[in-house]
Amino acid sequence: MVTRYSRGEPVARGGATAPSAPARRVGFLAASAAIAFCMAVAAWATIVGDDHFPRQDLFSFGALARAADFAGALIGSETSATPAFYQAGEWAEKARMAAETLAMSVAAAGLAALGALATFMFGARNVMLGSLAPYQSPLWTAPFFLVRALFTVSRAVPELVWAMILVFIFTQGTLPGVIALAIHNGGILGKLGSEIVEGLDTRPMRALRSTGAGRLQVLLYGVLPEALPKFVTYLFYRWEVIIRTTIVVGFVAAGGLGMEFRLAMSHFKFTEVTLILFWYLLLVLFVDIVSAQLRKLAA
Amino acid sequence: MNDRPHEGSLGGRGALTAILLIAFSISLVGIGWDDGLLNTGGVRAVGQILAAAVQPQISLDILSIGARSTWTTLAYAWAGMTVALVIGIPLGIIGSGTLVRSPWARRWNISSARFALAVFRAIHELVWAWLFVAALGLSPMAGVLALGLPYGGILGRIYAELLQDVPEAPLRALRGAGASEWRVFWFGRLPMALPDMLSYTFYRLECGIRSAAILSFVGLGGLGHNIQISLQDIDYTRMWTFVYFLIALVVVVDLWSSLVRRRVAIEQG
Repeated sequence: MVTRYSRGEPVARGGATAPSAPARRVGFLAASAAIAFCMAVAAWATIVGDDHFPRQDLFSFGALARAADFAGALIGSETSATPAFYQAGEWAEKARMAAETLAMSVAAAGLAALGALATFMFGARNVMLGSLAPYQSPLWTAPFFLVRALFTVSRAVPELVWAMILVFIFTQGTLPGVIALAIHNGGILGKLGSEIVEGLDTRPMRALRSTGAGRLQVLLYGVLPEALPKFVTYLFYRWEVIIRTTIVVGFVAAGGLGMEFRLAMSHFKFTEVTLILFWYLLLVLFVDIVSAQLRKLAA
Repeated sequence: MNDRPHEGSLGGRGALTAILLIAFSISLVGIGWDDGLLNTGGVRAVGQILAAAVQPQISLDILSIGARSTWTTLAYAWAGMTVALVIGIPLGIIGSGTLVRSPWARRWNISSARFALAVFRAIHELVWAWLFVAALGLSPMAGVLALGLPYGGILGRIYAELLQDVPEAPLRALRGAGASEWRVFWFGRLPMALPDMLSYTFYRLECGIRSAAILSFVGLGGLGHNIQISLQDIDYTRMWTFVYFLIALVVVVDLWSSLVRRRVAIEQG
């Protein structure tokens, strides 16, 4: 994976052939483990040292009672009102919201895939700078760094933060949520797509080249067909993540089950929360099953 | 995935392409367009947000708040990951069904552990956070548990799969030498799966940073909290400062995590 490419031929891996290399590598991993451990200790010290940390209360009866109260509220034992899950109207309403949530997740996955498909070639090192590059000019290398930077920024900022920003631009509703999901996941899919291309076996492409195919033709008929099935597999994995996150962008962007969840929580309608969580789990299960079936078609 | 695309799979691919395009078109109709696209002043907001991106606030005050909330986010992520490991390692080992020999016990182990893991990871960490805050009150523990449960669910599932996928021949040799299932696991299976388990854990750590940043949405501190407050004040320049802190944090952890994964891959040869 770390093979550097000169024009045409792969050359030796950097560092791997140095005689003292194994000892140094183990050193790096050991140091990483030590740092990780120290970070864990420091992190817990910060958490426990927080003013709001319940030092005595955490495992006391008070905390248990409060948790039990909340669990009771979820199943409707706290109020005399008819629980939401015994009302047909509530079921229908939440089902509509679940359908909207599903539509949001598909639209977001689709937009993310379109964005990633349009750019991932430009983010692959071997295509833009290495052995598969059709041209060697700054016009061809500048987009590489631009696209990589775009991937990094769009995926480093979480969906929820994108949604918070986008509600200033788009009208409240499903749209800002969908776009927020699409930006974040587009960055992830773009990076994954680039890495697929970088990991491809270049021998078939060189064979294609030797039969007289032009450089762009190699990209279109050699690289793309090899990369696409894997890309689609990743797309389905991301869809499974997106359906779980669609409810979260709904908290701020006002769409689907997320908005319902937020309203129900802030109005203390906990039996509605139970109903929403039921639909949410059903959606997650549905998407996991459908995605697994469709992945088989892609393979 | 290991062979060239061949004639037989073309039908499946064509059907898949059609399904994807149709589903995408339907979904685009399904999301509400009738309320109009942009806010009044939405276009101006784009300009303001983009203009603010190149002039983030860099006063000493803001930078020190940024540094402190970066550590808070990092601490949540790390503490959450330790909880995730505490959940994921035992359930992953049980869920791999490799500790027991009888088929019935194995099936029971796998299905019960995997069901628990599936429930943990079905619910997004922010939804967990909200439920925990409602149940336990607004304490850092709510955030740590909210992160630890779904991440434990993911780690456990991957650990279980990695432990199942190790080559069988060395294990048969150990069994032939009279080793118990525990010893086969401890001296055969675990050492073989460990590098991949380590790689995946570091990958999740990187995701955990982003998740920890948004946990603050329910009222816990950290970078997300500061981004949220800046947006409530419509102070885009201050928001960008914190967003840049978040990007820097994610990039650094990403870099470290990919270095570790690359070294592990080289170790494996």
